[in-house]
Amino acid sequence: MRAMLLIRAVEKAWGDAYLTEEITGIPPSLSTGQEAIAAGACAALGDGDFIFTTHRGQAAQVARGLDPKRILAELYCRRTGYNKGKSYHVTDMTRGVVGMGGIVPAQVPIAGGMALAQKMRGTDRVSLAFFGDGASNEGAVHEAAALAAMWTLPLILLCENNRYCITQRDTDALKGPSIAARAAGYGLPGVVVDGTDPLAVQAAVAEAVARARAGGGATFIEAQCERLTGHLIHDTQPYRSREELESAWKHCPILLFGERLERERILSADERARMNREIEAEVAGAVAHARTQPYPAIHEAYEDLWA
Amino acid sequence: MFDNRLFRPGGPVKPEEKDWPSFRGAINEAMREEMRRDPLVFQMGEDIALASPFGVTTGLAKEFGRERIRDAPCAEVAVVGAAVGAAMGGMRPIVEFQFGDFMSVAIDQLTHQAAMLRYLTGGQVSVPLVIRLPCGGGQGAGSQHSQSLYSWFAHVPGIKVLLPSTSMDAKAMMKAAIRDNNPVLFFEHKQLYRTRWPVPAEFRDADHVAELGKAAVRRAGVDITVVATLTMVHHALAAAEALAAEGVSVEVIDPRTLVPFDVDTLVASVRKTGRLLVVDEAYLNFGIQAEVIATVAERAFEALKAAPRRLGNPNVPVPFAPCLQDEVLPGRARIEAAIRQMMSR
Repeated sequence: MRAMLLIRAVEKAWGDAYLTEEITGIPPSLSTGQEAIAAGACAALGDGDFIFTTHRGQAAQVARGLDPKRILAELYCRRTGYNKGKSYHVTDMTRGVVGMGGIVPAQVPIAGGMALAQKMRGTDRVSLAFFGDGASNEGAVHEAAALAAMWTLPLILLCENNRYCITQRDTDALKGPSIAARAAGYGLPGVVVDGTDPLAVQAAVAEAVARARAGGGATFIEAQCERLTGHLIHDTQPYRSREELESAWKHCPILLFGERLERERILSADERARMNREIEAEVAGAVAHARTQPYPAIHEAYEDLWA
Repeated sequence: MFDNRLFRPGGPVKPEEKDWPSFRGAINEAMREEMRRDPLVFQMGEDIALASPFGVTTGLAKEFGRERIRDAPCAEVAVVGAAVGAAMGGMRPIVEFQFGDFMSVAIDQLTHQAAMLRYLTGGQVSVPLVIRLPCGGGQGAGSQHSQSLYSWFAHVPGIKVLLPSTSMDAKAMMKAAIRDNNPVLFFEHKQLYRTRWPVPAEFRDADHVAELGKAAVRRAGVDITVVATLTMVHHALAAAEALAAEGVSVEVIDPRTLVPFDVDTLVASVRKTGRLLVVDEAYLNFGIQAEVIATVAERAFEALKAAPRRLGNPNVPVPFAPCLQDEVLPGRARIEAAIRQMMSR
């Protein structure tokens, strides 16, 4: 719950910074409605495992335990951000987080390569590639899945089906029963899971991780959810009806999980509110930190190209 | 000058060339030595374990096994992506493409991922990988198997581009490529594979590694500078030899690497000769030839005695029919004619 609340708070701060024109450039891509997938998947991973994130990757970066101060510093284009202000796609190699997504499917084959390295070096570590329902139509995903099957790679292909590829409904492009159903064609186990339930996602990913660690190879997971905000924050979703959006919000993972924890007497509404206040204070501190950080020096435009 | 029977196995070797290493054998030896030296080096490519089409990986699977000499499926995007990811994970992959033209299929993984990820991550990752790209025309291999596309990749930041033209360079530059911590494209002209070259003693030295970014002056001269790569180096040398009899002294420069590019050797040569001809199989439009001439124009314009010239493919696909193919590719005769024309002014 804490991870999901933190994701939403960090993303709200990022979105607000854009809407108030504190930051400019390409608008933020929020994961609102998808927090359970990042939180559940990262809870199933350990040290030395790698995740490869999408353009909508901040949720997983937060869930993997990266410091919101340095995430926001990066998104504020400051030199003390994780990538020294050079990318929207936050990376921390020491925590096994590779931020990608500028080119939609590209992280998936690369995650396969990291899995190959993990295997060839004799470790039991795994790699997990996040990608969206839109990316699932890309050849790069099909090739990477086929290669992962052929070489029994310790890879988890985690498709976040948030129902929309910008303005295109998933079912417009998908004519099979599900995206995960394609896994059978690659010779991989394919699983559909409720992407609004962090525990269900965690269980599915944990099973895939166990299979990969044991040498059983890759798993294709489709976590289904609803994208609640626009493709990027400036997108007001005029292509979706008010009724559809109202119905989608009923699938908000924070709402659903909060109700469940209350019902099961694990976390009361008051306790949740207190947790959220703590998180909001932490994120406000991170924003204040980001604002005070220096921009990159001009000469840094010419650095970090060559090893 | 070159053997057009590349796609037929075997073929006689001239007696005097018997002890000279072949171009493809030199690449093979470099990879073998580096794989023995460093267990993190491994290879991926179609058919490289059993029957590599040009024979460059012959015997490597027997010595290193199928885990390190990995036959890949026909899935270039996944394979280049696997190389990028494996390189980020500490391995040192080498990828063979059967024809370099196929790099087009996986260009995003190269130019946006391999080449940019270090920059985008603020220097957190390095991507040490080598992609071997058989290139060039002259074998009747058709338009989609005969191109020289290095200008595409030299155009974008973050990729080293190597163009070896002799057995010695093929070996020493391959070793440098494997030890380099950046993405490296290693272009292998198919007509060079079966050529054999006398080599200096350091060819046998497993620790001899080329310094990338140093052009070779293949022939010294004072009247005109000819910049040529790959097979065109040898066409230019033959032309220079013929023109020497006419009293024209031609300097032939082989850049050897486009990225990094040895500007100093080029500029020093043109300051000496005052004339510049650039010869390459690459398409002429916005290509390597233009870049070399622009560099000289910026750095040594006042030294030029004549307008620089360029020879290359005049922007048509390399045709399948040999008579048409020969029409669009430069060669010794055209180099000689261009030099005579430039010297007559």
